Amino acid sequence: MEDFFNLILEPLKELFLKFKAFVPNLLAMLVILLVGIIFARIVKLVLVKFLTAIKFDSWSDRMGFTKLMRKGDLWAKPSAILGEIVFWLLIIVTLMTGLNALQIPAVNNLASEFFSYMPRIFSAAIILIVGYLLSGFISRTVLITAANSGFHYAKLLAKAVNTLLMVLILAMVMEQLQIAPSIVLAAFSIIFGGIVIALSIAFGVGGIDAARRMIEKEASAKPDEEPKDEIEHI
Amino acid sequence: MSDFYQTGIITTLHQLGKPSLERLEADLLRFSKVKPVALVLPALYSEFEGPAMPVILQELTKVKYLNEIVLTLDQASKEQLLRVRELMAPIPTEVRIIHNNGKRITEVYETLARNGLDVGQPGKGRSAWLAYGYVLARRRSAVIALHDCDIVTYNRELLARLCYPVACPTMDYVFCKGYYSRISNKMNGRVTRLLVTPLVRSLQQLVGHHEFLMFLDSFRYPLAGEFCMTSDLARVNRIPWDWGLEVGSLAEVHRNYSPQRVCQVDIAATYEHKHQALSSDDAGKGLMKMVVDICKSIFRTLGSEGVVFSDGLFHSLLVTYLRQAEDTLLKYEADATINGLDFDRHEEAKAVETFTKAIALAAQAFTDNPMGTPLIPNWNRVTSAIPDIFEMLKMAVEEDSK
Repeated sequence: MEDFFNLILEPLKELFLKFKAFVPNLLAMLVILLVGIIFARIVKLVLVKFLTAIKFDSWSDRMGFTKLMRKGDLWAKPSAILGEIVFWLLIIVTLMTGLNALQIPAVNNLASEFFSYMPRIFSAAIILIVGYLLSGFISRTVLITAANSGFHYAKLLAKAVNTLLMVLILAMVMEQLQIAPSIVLAAFSIIFGGIVIALSIAFGVGGIDAARRMIEKEASAKPDEEPKDEIEHI
Repeated sequence: MSDFYQTGIITTLHQLGKPSLERLEADLLRFSKVKPVALVLPALYSEFEGPAMPVILQELTKVKYLNEIVLTLDQASKEQLLRVRELMAPIPTEVRIIHNNGKRITEVYETLARNGLDVGQPGKGRSAWLAYGYVLARRRSAVIALHDCDIVTYNRELLARLCYPVACPTMDYVFCKGYYSRISNKMNGRVTRLLVTPLVRSLQQLVGHHEFLMFLDSFRYPLAGEFCMTSDLARVNRIPWDWGLEVGSLAEVHRNYSPQRVCQVDIAATYEHKHQALSSDDAGKGLMKMVVDICKSIFRTLGSEGVVFSDGLFHSLLVTYLRQAEDTLLKYEADATINGLDFDRHEEAKAVETFTKAIALAAQAFTDNPMGTPLIPNWNRVTSAIPDIFEMLKMAVEEDSK
């Protein structure tokens, strides 16, 4: 009879001991979560105040970030959105740290994988931001140059340059995030190569006369020609 | 039928001969291929529950030449926006509704504010300005017409006659103001009859020949809310957001264009809309507020054109105005008598007294702060400050339409 009770009590005892060993970890996790949430809130508050003070919202309006947000149907201040993003990133980090404190091997692996993935997320975000700014700058440069050169399809050309650059940037971001890298690389090569071939065929075959005329015009241009008014309008 | 006398320095297009709405609309349909016309309607939700808006909507279902209708809806909830959309559905023209109280449009206003662009308080001026911006952003229309949404006597001939001078490619007008008589069983339109015209003529008497005063005096109904303009003008014109909207807009037109490119057109034999209370004791509401804002707008325009307003000038102005207004009152009394219209001389005299008080208040306000209420910046300046504002505005309206 005693053996029978032992059979029942032993697992319970073992469970209690395990629970007793687990409780400090659980408490540690809860404390980390609590501190993390408070910290995230403070960081969000300070960040939003700082961004407002340095007129980040106006800067975003002029640089095109606000438009990008609106395209995603986000209708709040850019500083508020950035504050929210930082808040949730800190919450995720807190959650991962808290789970790590539980000392469960499977969760520990997940947390370490997450932390090793973090730098990729940051670098992808930086590539996206810098790339977006750069593509906007380059496409505007193309627009102004083409329009001032009297090119009729300046706007279309600028749009095409912008789209191509954005495709390139998105491919780099996906590659950085390691999201199906081989597929992204193949798709990018096919699309970019296809566009280049299409342009080559269009210009080399369809526009052969135009190309000849342009080359002849360049070759026959007199260097000592009378200077003309070079100011043209968009 | 009216006479054919040309008033002042702008062109007056009268209602002469037998009216033919069919001919006007057929012409406008042809013109719209070259110069597409947008109609802007600044409306409150309450106007959809009143007697005027159902009539306006019914008439607009018969109009074929409009390219787009942009309705700026104010003081409306999300549910009321949906209801308005249902009401507008039978109109064959493409209708876009700007939900002024929606979160997206509110954010557009905040974007403007944080970039140092003061677009003022909610009202007809701000609503109309935003609607122009939306029309400019879409780049689908070359002509913009606007009329109020409280016209009980509305018919589509009003719209056709309003659009015609600017839409017609052979007439080189950039701005056309509507005019009409405000007659029921009595003469309405007190502010135009007893304030604007006598005030402008008093100022002419004191200041002497002045282009802007001549320009303003040329309009038969300078406070009419109905006008039509080219989209280029909508881009460069600044407008006041207060009651000085009509006079301030005319001042901007005068500043930017030659009077030869401005006209006024007789758009209706009768015109009836909601009336404002006189509220002579409170300068913050009713006709009193309207009159103070109008006077401030006139003073500021003249001030900006070099007219020096001294205390002496303002004192003389009050007396001159009073004399002018009393003389005008006698003229209207005679006019009412011969036409068998009711004319309450005491009420009219009370209105003149109130307007005199309002001119004094406006003069004081102008002396205290000559800059007064700032005008809403023109769209050229706005796009220069925020290059993507048109895209944002378009996205806000498109998302609100889903």
